Amino acid sequence: MSSASTQTDTQWKGYAVHDTEHWDQLKLIDFQPKKFGDYDIDVKIEYCGVCGSDVHTVTGGWGKPLLPVIPGHEITGRVIRVGPKVTEFKVGDRAGVGAQVCSCFECTLCKTDNENYCPSSVDTYNAKYPNGDMAYGGYSTAIRAHERFVFPIPQELALEQASPMLCAGLTVYSPLVRNGAGPGKKVGVVGIGGLGHFAIQFAKALGAEVVAFSHSPNKEKDAYELGADKFVLTNDKAFSKDYQGKLDIIICTTDVSKGIPLGDLLSTLTIAGRLIMVALPDDDLPAIKSMQMAKNAALFGGSHIGSKKEALAMLDLAVKKGVKSHIEILSMKEAGKALRNVKENNIRYRHVLKMDI
Amino acid sequence: MSNELTWKGYAVHDTAKWEDFKLIDIKPKPRGEYDVDIKIEYCGVCGSDVHTITGGWGPPHLPVIVGHEIAGTAAWVGPKVTGIKVGDRVGVGAQICSCLECKMCKTNNEQYCQKHVTFTYNSVYPESGTITTGGYSSAIRSHERFVFPIPDALELEHAAPMLCGGVTVYSPLVRNGAGPGKRVGVVGIGGLGHFAIQFAKGLGCEEVVAFSHSSRKKEDAIKLGATQFVETGKKGFEEALHASLDLIICTANVAPGIAMSELLSTLAPGGKFVMVAIPEEQVPIPSRDLVVRGISFGGSLLGSKKEALEMLQLAAAKGIKPWIEIMPMKDCGKAVRAVKDGNVRYRHVLKQDIPR
Repeated sequence: MSSASTQTDTQWKGYAVHDTEHWDQLKLIDFQPKKFGDYDIDVKIEYCGVCGSDVHTVTGGWGKPLLPVIPGHEITGRVIRVGPKVTEFKVGDRAGVGAQVCSCFECTLCKTDNENYCPSSVDTYNAKYPNGDMAYGGYSTAIRAHERFVFPIPQELALEQASPMLCAGLTVYSPLVRNGAGPGKKVGVVGIGGLGHFAIQFAKALGAEVVAFSHSPNKEKDAYELGADKFVLTNDKAFSKDYQGKLDIIICTTDVSKGIPLGDLLSTLTIAGRLIMVALPDDDLPAIKSMQMAKNAALFGGSHIGSKKEALAMLDLAVKKGVKSHIEILSMKEAGKALRNVKENNIRYRHVLKMDI
Repeated sequence: MSNELTWKGYAVHDTAKWEDFKLIDIKPKPRGEYDVDIKIEYCGVCGSDVHTITGGWGPPHLPVIVGHEIAGTAAWVGPKVTGIKVGDRVGVGAQICSCLECKMCKTNNEQYCQKHVTFTYNSVYPESGTITTGGYSSAIRSHERFVFPIPDALELEHAAPMLCGGVTVYSPLVRNGAGPGKRVGVVGIGGLGHFAIQFAKGLGCEEVVAFSHSSRKKEDAIKLGATQFVETGKKGFEEALHASLDLIICTANVAPGIAMSELLSTLAPGGKFVMVAIPEEQVPIPSRDLVVRGISFGGSLLGSKKEALEMLQLAAAKGIKPWIEIMPMKDCGKAVRAVKDGNVRYRHVLKQDIPR
């Protein structure tokens, strides 16, 4: 793509779910992107990763979505149009968009690289801009987003490799760095899937020692290949025995309420160690006795995607340390199949859809 | 001064009659080389005492002598005791033993000992099997690691409640960075809460926001040093404080009545909500709020001796005092009743009155 496109040239089409009962049946539709603003960028999509969030959304697991919904928030492609006030990009640049497309830009959070926590945050899909325009996701031909939410992709990183990092990667990278993962630290990663396979690699890339926790014995080989120093099977009732008070940080990518006893996990933390949940569970976690948290003054926290600053640092680190997305590419028209695989836990570790519209 | 200590204490014999205390003889653990015998002058009445004698925290070993905010004078010191001599003004808090050898014990984290934490009452010394008895009594014996010298500038009756109530909030305040430039919230203005406000202020925090479910504690909160008072019973209480606090120390039982989501929304990303109360019910973990706001939720137990000593120095330097009402120790039944009813502003302290 060498020449700039005008709005009339760009086709805005995407694969949409119309009914949460038939969530794996996507139909191609035309859509209207938000009105083009001074800081906006249009990206012609080449790849889009398939995230667990896409499944939670289209199935109605996180509540009824705004229908029809075009999912997808691990987007990469090339810039085809830039607004007059855009400074970071020019037409032809390789660019990506993650799970957020807008914030207020004015609050303390936005001004301190915490835009992912802005109360006026707009998600990449299944969301509305303050003026009422719909945000549509990346199972489509193109996306329009404010420059603040568009990330330059390093030349050394293939677009399909970068895509899943823009949500899954960032979602684990941010809490790792914010909680001090690095040399001398021991990091636990619970759940070896889309997020978990990144958490192991990024924790290692940051210089930490990594213990991978899973309830599946068949993830052991992968865990070591991804760089984990130890693999622990959590089905064993005594799994936490050898790790009492040893870990500084645990990144939990799974729904902890299902099958992993929270108390046991917390007991592996050192004094004031942290367990950070990055999965957004459907249900509340089971209640605990507050004495369980008092035993080692452990903290139980959460984290939500990351800032642009963190996204860029993450992509640099990925290049420097050879972090790899383990992906299986499917044509975008097979989005339904991809969603099913994610729902059934049948993917090692990310589907990436290749734009084919 | 006579070395002959009386060993008697006021004990509860039946959790159904938890306000009935009877004086009984105490048989302390055998003297050890590092032990200190203390003649008790004062003992604060803590919420833990009530949770214990009512059976709220489970059936206690009966008869039970509670009390873990103890101040008095050293009457005897073992041959290997170095920091304390006979006649010194000293105190004991809520912990009386740990293994002293593990990584936690060796890094000023003895309250998080990995092998065993023995509490000052209703707890077991692992070696001897002796059940520990607390400070509603004439004397107590403790390993010097759990005995705190009290600065001359502090009255014993003021130091006593600091040894559980004070250190329980002081420890998470300092461990979580409370100090100049920091904005701290305190939930619950009671025994612990009234210390938390004073210590947060004493540590130099920029904002100390007192949260309470009703307005009746507003005046006290400001007198104690709060920069703001927020009534959590009012709708929208959290809006003006959105994402502005670094730390919240929660001294109240959050399970009923407190709008947890709203409270958590006042924390900035990276902020922490630390529970120091130990409610009888389970506490639901608000995982969604934690993820969406990038904050965390934790607990804290008592404090180390190092922290207790620092706290006492800070209190002496800044004139921090609990607001107390002194009662004769024989009125301990009235005192625990008042605590149970939430009727104390803000600590009862029992004055030892046991005849020889």
